Order: sequence, then C-alpha cells, then structure tokens
Amino acid sequence: MSISKISPELFQKLVGLAALELTDEESAYLLTEMNHQLSSVNALLQVPLDADIQPTLHGIQCQGSGPRADVWQPFPTPSEILAGAPETEAGMFAVPDVKGAK
Amino acid sequence: MSLNQLSALEVAAHVRAGELSAREVLEASLSQIRAVDGQPGRLDKQQLDPAEEQKVHAFIRLTEDLAHRQADEVDRKISAGEDPGILAGVPVSIKDIFTLQGVETTAASRILYNFKPPYTATPVQKLIEAGALILGKVNLDEFTFGSSSESSAFKPTPNNPWNTSHVPGGSSGGSTASVAAEEVALSLGTDTGGSIRQPAAFCGVVGLKPTYGRVSRYGLMAFSSSLDCPGPIARNISDAALMLQAIAGTDPKDSTSSVVPTSNYLEALKEGVKGLRVGLSPDYTHLFYPDFETGELSLESIQKEISESVLHAASVLADLGAEIVEKVPLPNTKYSIPTYFVVSRVEAASNLHRFDGVKYGYRTPVEVEDLQDLIRRTRAEGFGSEAKLRILMGMYLSSEGFAANYYQRALKVRAMIRRDFERAFDPHGEHRLDVVLTPTTATTAFKRNDVFGNTVRMQYSDQMTVSANHAGLPAVSVPGGLDADNLPIGIQFIGPDFREDLILRAGYAYEQATLDEAWRSVRPAILRQEVAK
Amino acid sequence: MKDYEVVIGLETHIQLNTQTKIFCSCKADSWEAAPNTNICPVCSGMPGVLPVLNSAAIHKGALLAAAMHAEVNPVSYFDRKNYFYPDLPKGYQITQFDEPIGKGGYLDLHMPDGAIRRVRIHKLHLEEDAGKTKLDHGLRLVDFNRCGVPLVEMVTEPDLRSGEEAAQYLIQLRQLLRWIGVSEADMERGHLRCDANVSIRERGSQVLNTKTEIKNVNSIDAVRQAIIEESKRQIELVESGGKVVSYTLDWDADTGKLSMMRSKETEADYRYFREPDLLPVVLTEEEIARIKAELPELPPERKARFEMEYGLSAYDAEILTEDRGLSDYFETAVASFGGEAKIVSNWMMNDLSRLMNDLGKTASELALTPAFLAQIIRMVEDGKITAATGKSLLRKVEESRREPAQIVEAEGLAVIADSDALREQIQSVLAASTAEVESFRAGKESLLGWFVGQVMRATGGKADPKRTREILLELLRQK
Repeated sequence: MSISKISPELFQKLVGLAALELTDEESAYLLTEMNHQLSSVNALLQVPLDADIQPTLHGIQCQGSGPRADVWQPFPTPSEILAGAPETEAGMFAVPDVKGAK
Repeated sequence: MSLNQLSALEVAAHVRAGELSAREVLEASLSQIRAVDGQPGRLDKQQLDPAEEQKVHAFIRLTEDLAHRQADEVDRKISAGEDPGILAGVPVSIKDIFTLQGVETTAASRILYNFKPPYTATPVQKLIEAGALILGKVNLDEFTFGSSSESSAFKPTPNNPWNTSHVPGGSSGGSTASVAAEEVALSLGTDTGGSIRQPAAFCGVVGLKPTYGRVSRYGLMAFSSSLDCPGPIARNISDAALMLQAIAGTDPKDSTSSVVPTSNYLEALKEGVKGLRVGLSPDYTHLFYPDFETGELSLESIQKEISESVLHAASVLADLGAEIVEKVPLPNTKYSIPTYFVVSRVEAASNLHRFDGVKYGYRTPVEVEDLQDLIRRTRAEGFGSEAKLRILMGMYLSSEGFAANYYQRALKVRAMIRRDFERAFDPHGEHRLDVVLTPTTATTAFKRNDVFGNTVRMQYSDQMTVSANHAGLPAVSVPGGLDADNLPIGIQFIGPDFREDLILRAGYAYEQATLDEAWRSVRPAILRQEVAK
Repeated sequence: MKDYEVVIGLETHIQLNTQTKIFCSCKADSWEAAPNTNICPVCSGMPGVLPVLNSAAIHKGALLAAAMHAEVNPVSYFDRKNYFYPDLPKGYQITQFDEPIGKGGYLDLHMPDGAIRRVRIHKLHLEEDAGKTKLDHGLRLVDFNRCGVPLVEMVTEPDLRSGEEAAQYLIQLRQLLRWIGVSEADMERGHLRCDANVSIRERGSQVLNTKTEIKNVNSIDAVRQAIIEESKRQIELVESGGKVVSYTLDWDADTGKLSMMRSKETEADYRYFREPDLLPVVLTEEEIARIKAELPELPPERKARFEMEYGLSAYDAEILTEDRGLSDYFETAVASFGGEAKIVSNWMMNDLSRLMNDLGKTASELALTPAFLAQIIRMVEDGKITAATGKSLLRKVEESRREPAQIVEAEGLAVIADSDALREQIQSVLAASTAEVESFRAGKESLLGWFVGQVMRATGGKADPKRTREILLELLRQK
C-alpha cells in the first residue's frame, strides 16, 4: 500500500500559504514529520464508511442558548485593545503597506 | 500536615467556617511554591545548576499581589458575614492559555510573550467569584500543542514531581505538576485530545474533561475549537467535583456552551456503584501504531502494570456491587489519532491565523519590506516548531488544491467514533453501559527528551483519551497505582453526555475503596526530599 | 465590426441596519466614530474570543431573501474563509459558503422603456464586514470600527446586458432595501457596495467568455460608466485580435478611467470549513412563514396598483412609490380625504414635495400628517379657504404642529363667504379707487384683475375670488 507524501515543492507552497519562513534545517525536520503524520492519516482513507454516516462537527448535539438580542453593549475599554498594539498612529493600528496593493 | 497539603474541600470548609484565614492558606501555598518550584519558565535561555534541574518549574508567572488582594477580600467577606464562595481561600493555578485581564497571558509562546488581555476568561472569572485565590499562570506546551509540555517557549519546562527527569505530560503539564507537588490545591487546564487526563495520569492526580460545552470556552485561546474543553485538575475526586461545580454552566459569550442544567456533582459522589454497569473494551488494550512507509496500523502492547491496574479497578468496583461488562466493542478507536490529526490541525491552522504581529503580541524587530514580510518573519520568529508543524499540516489537510477531502472524511469517521459510544451507552442496546473503564495512557511518564521531536509517537500517547474528545463525552483520569519505578498510573472512566456525575461516582467509589492500598502512601519524589521551607 | 453582446453580473455587499454587529454587541453604525472606538475583543480578533450571532441579522437576511423571491433555508451554516489581510483581524472571515440563508431568487428589472428583465440571483448569504484601512506616508493604518458589521452578499447570474441595466438594477435594489427596512443603502456611506463582472460575446452566442472584475464603483453613475468603458475596451481589444485576460480593475471616478489591479489567474485557496464556534442557524416553518408575512407590498406591485386603483399616471405612480414612507403617506391621505386621488397626488408632488425639500424631511418625518394634509385639501375643495391659503397652511401646520382647522379659526383665514361682508369690503375698495372705477366704466375692463387684487389685499387674501369677481362686475357695471 503506498501512501501520499508531500513533496519538497508542495511543502514550500504550503510554507508560503501559511505566511511562514523556515530555515533549511527546520524545513527538513517539519517535512519529515508531516510525512510521518500522513502515514497515520492514511488510515482514514482506508476506513469503510457506514453508508448513512453524516459528518459531525462537535460529537454531541450542541444545545446552545441561540442567537442573542440586537442590543448595544459597548466594550468598556477599547483603548486597552489599541494599547496592546506593537505600533499605532493616530488611533489606528499601523503596519507597512501590502506589497502590490493599490 | 501543613496547610498546602489540605484538599480544596477542607480549605474551603475551614475558611468558610472562620477556622482558617485565606491569608494563612495563601502563605502556605507560596511557601511551598518557593520551596519546590524553582525558576519560573522564561523566554531567554537559562543556565540551571543541578539543584534547579530537580525542581518542578510549573509556573510561568506568579500573581502574588492579585492572590493577596483576593485573600484579603475573602477574609473581609467572612468577617462581614457575606458568602465568600464555594472555593473560598482555595489556592488555584491557571494554565497560561486562559486570559486574565491585565496579566500577561502567553500561551507559552514567544508570539504572545507580552500580551496583556483586556478581559478575563469565563472559567477563570467563575473561580474568582467562587473565592479561589489565583496563585499564577502555569506552563504548558506552546498553544497546548503537545503531550509533554516540552514544546513551551518558556524554559525550563515543567518536570514530573514524581521523578524530575521525567515529563509531567501535556499539554497541561504545569497544571498537573503544580497540583501533584502540593503547590496549589486545584488547577484549571484544557483537554483537546487528552491534555488534562494524560498529564493527570503521569502526575498521579485527578484530571477531568467535562462534556463539550459544559464549561465555557470564552477566554480559552483556541487550539481546536470543536474539541477544546476547560476542566479541573485536583488531588482527589471530591475536589474535582467541587471545582467542576464552580466552573460549569452556560455562558452567553460562548455559542457552543450548553444550556443543559448542571447537577450537584458533590452530592452525586455518595450514590455508590451498586448496579452501575461498567464496560471494558478490547479496543483499549493496545496502541494501533502506523508504519511510516506503508501506513499500516499494527498493534503495540501497552505497559503491563497499566493493564493490570485497570483490571484491578474493575474487580474493586465489582466487589462494591458494580456490574462489569466485558468485550464491549469500540472498533473505531484505532482511527481516533488519524482523525485527530486531521480535525485538530485544520482548526488549529485557522485559529492561529490571527497571530500576525499587527494587533498584539510579538512583532519582528527586523526591518521589513512590506506587510507580507512582516507577517512571515513575525510568525517564523514567534512560533515554535510544533506550532509551525500544526499550521502546515492544517493547511495541507484542508486545502482543496492539494489534498483528498481529508477533512470531510475525518468528520465522518469522527461520527463513527461517536456512534461506537452511543451503541455502548444505549439503554436499549446490547451493553447498556453507564461508564466505560479504560487505561488513560499506554505508558507511564516518559523521560525528558525521549519522545520530544518524534511528533507521531508523541501524539499517540493520547490514543486512549482522544476518542472522548471526538465524541464530546465527559471522561476522568483517576490515580490507579504506581509502576515499578514509582511512576503514577492513571485509569479512565468515560461517561455519556453530561453525566459527569456517573464518572465521578465511579472514580470516587474506586478511590475510597482503595485508600489503604500500599501505593497510596508513596509520595512524589520532590515531596519526599528534605526541602527548606 | 461584429455585433457584440455585453454580459454583466453584479456582486453587491449590503450593510444591514441592525443595532449591533453580527457577532458581537458593538454598534453596527459607527460612521461618525473616531477610529478603533467602536471595538471589542471579539471584532478586533483577540485570542480566546468567540462569535455570538445577532438574531436581527438572521431576521433581516431572511426578509431580504424572501423579498428577492429566494427560498429561505430552514437550516443554514456559517463557514470560515481563511486568508491574510490587515483589515481581517482573525485571519479568516466568517461567512456562508455552501448552505447559505437564501437559495435562488430574482429581481424583475422594470426598464424605462417598459421592458422587464429578470435578473436571477446566484448566491445570497450573510457574512461579517472587514475593517477599513488607509495609506498614510507609506504606512497602512487599520481601523476596526466597521469590522463585524452584518453584510448580505448578493451575486447575480450574468443576466444584465448593459451599463444602464446594471444602474437600473442598483436603483431598484436600493429602493427595495430601504422599502423593506433592512438597509439604509446609502452608497456614499458604503451601505451598498458593488463589483461588476464584465465579459463580451458575439450576439447569439451562449458561451460565457473570460470576464474582468471592476471594483471600487461607489455610485450608480460610476457603475454605469465603468461598465460602458470596460465593454468598449474589451470590444476594441478583441476586434484588434487581442484576448481578454481575467484582471481585477479599479475605477477612478475622478478621471473616468479603469486601471489594472491584479491578475485573477491565481485564485486564493480559502480552505473553507464549517465555523466550529457557531451552531447551525435554524428557522422553523413558523418563523419562516412569519417572516414572509412581514413582507410588505413591494414597489413594482404597489406602483401598478396605484395606477389602477387611483388612476395615476405611470410617472406619478413612480414618484409616489419611490419611497415607502411617501407612498404610505399618500394612501393614508387619500383615504382620509375621501375624494379624487389625483388631487392628493398633485398636492404631494408639488407643494408638499417643495416643503419636504426645503426642510430636508422625508414624508414619515413630517409633523404634517396625512390626515392634516387631507383636511387642508378638503377645505380648499369646499371653498372654505383659498388655494393660496391652503398652500401657506402646509408650512404653518408643520411648524406649529397644530390642526389646520384650528389655525384657520385662530388666524381668521377662512374665505369671506358671507356675501354681505364681502360686498361691504368691495364697496370700500371701490370707494377708495374712484379713478380706476371711472376708467373701468369708461371701457378699460382689463382693470378687473387689478380690482380683484385690491380686494384680496384689503381682505388679506380671504376673499373668494369667484364671488369677488361677480360682485365687482355687478357693482362696476352699475351706473
């Protein structure tokens, strides 16, 4: 039985999608571990699924309190949220511009 | 007996009765922490002398001032004749994955090293309102990713109080270690695949994963949203029941939290186990470990002393009048780790998208060209290996372009795991169980650095626990003995939806019936040492 | 040159006018607020927070779906759409991917030439808005005030065929949104945003060719213009042997020019999956029925009914059904008046409309109620007051909030109907204008108008013009 593996090229694509940057050493280690984990995941593809089985999101049937009323409740200290930012300017979160944006 | 050795129930009773002050209890707890904990976990590399290496290192940050204010408030309420709460004066540690307003909450990650949340997590708030004293934040695997607490960016990582060369388990290793080392009476942990129960088993304490939605997740920095459960860690069942009482209940801030009413968990303990149907399953006697080349699952035996403990527990319960039901099939157990790899990583990758250096936490100090550069560098420098691995795995497994529809398939297999339990618990079914009894883990606590780095082997230490997460069911690990090396063994009870009362009952009956067993008089190595107080 | 057909689909984002955001209790409308003051841990994407669904967002979303003739899904789900962008604090948007609140639906466009084009709806779903960013000296600044506002995204099939049709679609959609009360739909405030997908093909072909997407069209005119420009560009391109490439284009309203933004070749992989922090949205049959029952008579139906029932012209009916408040006002006024609807419509479309414009008020904001208007009109029709008086009463009632009849009484505005009193007034005027009387009697009968004016002045406008003329003639022609 052969199992799917992630190629180094695909790995690099995933690194880009994940907004990460890795050293060669890290890449080698992580790729190896990912393929080892895939060997475990592979079992899922072999499981004969019961014909009537539906995907479950939480295991149990959640009984929540349902949607809330449309009533304004301001957060008492929005300034505390801004205060945690690495950089702000004129009350706004400041970052370098997006590459190639308008 | 010193005050820090009292159970939570005892502390609360004495404090409420005015026989003990919260301040006294706090001082005893702090004293013990100073004696056994050693350096708190820190980002910068610390050189430790051999004596330090033998300490517990459960804490990342002590919150002494806060605890003093809380103790004073409890004592004031007592004098004023006001109700101080059911956990009055009880010292508690909080896994550093829960937000506490104005106090650094790090998730044991560099990427949140300086994050001070503007709000407090609901379960923490409930503990505070119940009169508990928050001693501080304890260490964990980074973002709860792991089963040994070794992946924390804050070093040194926690050691097992029973043998400090061994891991306490994870990801709630700091929680279980701080309780086992008698630094605090209770700890608030989280369990996504076994992160309360496995370290509880490794550290010889009680660890309860409630039903999904029983305890609010608001303020719990998410790993896998459909699996995460906050829960209590304690030195005995009654304490776990008491803590569950304080933190359980619906929360309007958490849409998945349940409106099913809570019950009186302490009262339920007294009901005993006569007629209780306890199931044993042949699917919990082995690990199903994959071959890395072929992917074939093959059986690996579990540690013999552990199997024996489970059987012993069954016979103790039988003597108390429980009905032991053998050979209960739970055939999809072998797919629980593969399913977990898919579901948890997909959700984790998404949950970690928000850490980008824009709004809070760490931002790379390096000069960057543009925003994409900022984000990449921040995440590269801020996240540890395990976090990066989970993110990459999650992206791969949920990607339309690259992968077979793993995620949808995994949700179906998850439903099949759930169905196994529904059949076992079905009151009109063949087995009609009240609880299932299994080992908590396949081995006792492994040595530091023995498994860390082998992520598959590490994940498989959760094989016995993770099915309960998939099915959303409550499960508790209870101390069940010691192995030949004096390392703790845990046995696990799994129950039906919202029947925490049943599993606590079974655990309590077993606990009380085995109080005189020899292993119970052995204490963790760190407590057997002569430590300057 | 070949005969080309332009094929257009519109994607609109509609900001719902709920009190609060979709997943937290911050305000939905923060147009005036200073940056990052209308935020909380949930909408600013802090670690550990969880979304809680706003029931009003569901309600309004379902109402809109029903108004678009879509099927309201009894069970719908929220999903995560994952990508990195500074205005998206969680790094994912909570939206609805494959089981949204509405399925199918259409809007029948009533074109000015009388034709009706049915525009089918491809997708109708709820989602949360992102924050706002702006560029400032090389830094991108982010404001989360708007983050989490409830949006309905509506995507049409490529059923539109011109910039004009697209403009009509937006005009009608805007009217509908305001009509059923789910959105203020003010395009300048971003309540209604539009992207246009444009492609061309030879007329008669059924094929859908490569399309471009035009973004940043912030007004109805801009949509019309941009589509016209882009279809011209595509036709020219194809005619000269080129191929249309799938680009995103930006419309500059000031210069009237399109510019390339980015190639759409590489579609992002959003890795959609069910939002695990939210439960399925369940609407019972009863609830759906109640929502449908809430739907008022919609503008096209009402316009047709106004033409039929009240005999209004198509033009008048259109004006009077532009705004729901105005058309409700009209109907109430007609019922109150009890006479010919056309009289009421004339008053409303002229003098009342002028007053509303002067005061900057909508019909529903007026203190001058439909009943009051009807009263004024009735008094004029019955000859109790002159038309001029009636017109002045509009403002007087609006400002004083008093009943028209009361004001007439208090200020003595009633027409002098009593012939004797009138005759006395007229005789005084004649007595004071002997020169003019002589001129009239000498043959200058055009002076009659002047005499009428004098009588009006003397009576403060309260003389009945007809009666005045009669008496004047009688007296003047006497010798």
